[in-house]
Amino acid sequence: MMNYAPKRSDEPIWWGLFGAGGTWFAILTPVTVLLMGILLPLHGLGFIDLSYDKLVNFVSSPVGAVFTVLTLALPMWHAMHRVHHGLHDLQVHIGAVGKYACYVIAAVVTLLAVIWVAMLA
Amino acid sequence: MDKLQTVNVLRYDPAKDEEPYLETFKVPANDTTSVQDALAYIKDHLDKSLSYRWSCRMAICGSCGVMVNNVPKLACKTFLRDYPEGLTLEPLANFAIEKDLVVDKTPFLERLEAIKPYIIGNDRKPEEGPNLQTPAQMAKYKQFAGCINCGLCYAACPQFGLNPEFIGPAALTLARRYNLDSRDHGKAERMKLINGKDGAWGCTFVGYCSEVCPKHVDPAAAVNQSKVESSKDFLIAMLRPQEA
Repeated sequence: MMNYAPKRSDEPIWWGLFGAGGTWFAILTPVTVLLMGILLPLHGLGFIDLSYDKLVNFVSSPVGAVFTVLTLALPMWHAMHRVHHGLHDLQVHIGAVGKYACYVIAAVVTLLAVIWVAMLA
Repeated sequence: MDKLQTVNVLRYDPAKDEEPYLETFKVPANDTTSVQDALAYIKDHLDKSLSYRWSCRMAICGSCGVMVNNVPKLACKTFLRDYPEGLTLEPLANFAIEKDLVVDKTPFLERLEAIKPYIIGNDRKPEEGPNLQTPAQMAKYKQFAGCINCGLCYAACPQFGLNPEFIGPAALTLARRYNLDSRDHGKAERMKLINGKDGAWGCTFVGYCSEVCPKHVDPAAAVNQSKVESSKDFLIAMLRPQEA
């Protein structure tokens, strides 16, 4: 017999963060990696000043702070949501413990990102 | 020209057999022989005790779903010419076997019924004439209306296999089809089931349902549109806590 009056799932919250993280990771992260990870060390961006001072200034600005926190946090929510459902797919049924362990890890990374950015300000 | 081809069939008679076993038949086949023709040949000439479901022979009744080499297929729409090495026929995965290739589709039918796949809350009278829709209104749901209830998507869905409570692809697609219909007013009733953890949220977007669908209905798209819909519903309910 199926349940005809199920409880509303809280999945929209996690799925929303998962979707936001996936989108961010697919569209913005590659650009960030290209700029900070490849072109900056190779001094390939003569026309944009990516000196340490400029970057600290950017990350300390409101827009830069939000960008940095989201860059670190959203892909983590995406990944942890995948891990949570992946465990179910691999038939590791650890129920709510697994679910909250995954999301607590993502929340800790988010909190750390906020603290790191706040320390720069 | 007919040549003999190997067809392995999973046999199981709950009155006699401890467990299912494979039986091998040699079936004469040419380029036009469908899996359904092969089954009919076996029943008519080799073993009349073979049980399998079929009706229309033209991919519209949705009765003849079987696993062909582990892939859910309609027996009438699958041809022996595509399996020169022979093929293995088994009952649809994720369902209990009743006998041979016949499965118990009750869980599927129960879900289909539960999501109310019919127009609700439209008090239009016949005297008012046909309830016309614009091409744009029809385009919204038309693809999802092509479902023939064959159940191949349930045999394909790993989430239905892992969680038998999951409402599953076809039923969720039919729910979406009626939710998108401008003549329907039953969305609120259907959303209750879609919003649950075994509703749209039981899906992890594997997408195999859409791959095996013989009518190109694309259930994975319907289910994921329902996730967006359920998320909106969730937000609205949070803003109106008395209805949550």
